[in-house]
Amino acid sequence: MKKYLILAALAAAPLNPALASDYTIDPTHTYVSFAINHLGFSTMRGKFDRQSGSMQFDPDAKKASVTIEIDAASIDTGHEKRDAHLSSPDFLNAVEYPTISFKSTGVTWNGAKLATVSGDLTMLGVSKPVTLQVTSMNCAEHPFNKKWTCGFDATGSIKRTDFGVNYGVPAIGEVLDLQIEVEAARN
Amino acid sequence: MDNLLDRPEVQSALLPFVIALVLALGLRKLTATAWLWAMFAAFTLSALLINGLTLTPLTGTRKIILLIGGALFVAALLPGVLARLRLQRPFTDLFCLLALGWVFSAVVARMQTLQIAMIAAGAVAFAFTLQLSFERVIVNPARLHGAGLGLLLGVGLAATAAASALLGQLGLALAAACGGAYLAWVITGASGNAKQLVVTLPYVLAPLLLGVASVLFARLPWYALIPLAFIPLAASLVPLKFESRFARALVASLPGLVIALATAFWVWKSSGSASGY
Repeated sequence: MKKYLILAALAAAPLNPALASDYTIDPTHTYVSFAINHLGFSTMRGKFDRQSGSMQFDPDAKKASVTIEIDAASIDTGHEKRDAHLSSPDFLNAVEYPTISFKSTGVTWNGAKLATVSGDLTMLGVSKPVTLQVTSMNCAEHPFNKKWTCGFDATGSIKRTDFGVNYGVPAIGEVLDLQIEVEAARN
Repeated sequence: MDNLLDRPEVQSALLPFVIALVLALGLRKLTATAWLWAMFAAFTLSALLINGLTLTPLTGTRKIILLIGGALFVAALLPGVLARLRLQRPFTDLFCLLALGWVFSAVVARMQTLQIAMIAAGAVAFAFTLQLSFERVIVNPARLHGAGLGLLLGVGLAATAAASALLGQLGLALAAACGGAYLAWVITGASGNAKQLVVTLPYVLAPLLLGVASVLFARLPWYALIPLAFIPLAASLVPLKFESRFARALVASLPGLVIALATAFWVWKSSGSASGY
């Protein structure tokens, strides 16, 4: 009887979210940044200072999913007045729409590593599909806290007008290049 | 032409001013509320250029555009009907209350009870101050339009100086439309004023919604609305002992313009006064 119980537990293991590698994103090592053309002169860069989320990651089963929630009001371009403007209804409308979220809907693999992460980006209440190219990825035991940790860097781009952010187009670029670095520890 | 219509100064100043002026002059013999129809047309076109045709997502700003357009339309259409029914004051109050609820309830619901109470009390006090002040000037076109011009200019400039060019542009477009209608009165002398309380609805509602939105969405200090609230009262107090309509218009609008510019400058300075970022 004991043997059957062990076999049953082993069979159920891949379906158990905890064993199928649930991860919690480390907000102190996760960065969501962007770059946008400024008046045709240069590229302006900024980031968000507060984000949270989770990952499910199972390279053996070639399954993965990512959910990230970003505090829209935490936008930081290194200029307080500009950040206030970017948070206003002209751009992110952060008071009415405080959260920007990305929820993956599918991934592709390159061997044991993620190649792309596709998902829905929701901003100002509008959801649009986005595909992120994963440029690097690694999983290993964290040298300090000894937790199994995975991280990846990804890039992508969106058209802000798709989300109703029309202000200043075309003087301020319509296409926003995204750069996302995520580090997450297994639960 | 497209590039010209993309320019904020055309969208929010030149175009609404010219359209309101031409329509107020053209329609004055057809209806007593020609100036309101003129402002409605001017604001609608400006809002289309500023916001585009899209209404999704239905943000607070887009709700404000719909409500201001609706208030101008109603104010132009209904004075006779509502006067007979003695419903003008309750109608104006109810319109403002429902508008505040529709635009801000979702945002305010996420706040603490004390914050909600303070915002509600401030908004109601602002609305009643404006309503009572406009009642004092409704019989005098010079004072009515002078107060409206200064108030809308002040709200538009203050919103722009705080953080939102979008809210600012809407206020400035209304101010320009008001200026066009005002000039039509200066040129013709046709009072065009139905002398009904409901015609002040857009002058109360637009600063109320744009002002509260600027405070909640664009970091406008709430106390910047206090001097703006007294613009209609200031316009009612200046002596207008001139024969010339131009002189009366100039003097009636002067206190509002001074208060509006001073408030906007103060907001601009206190919010960092950085430009060109």
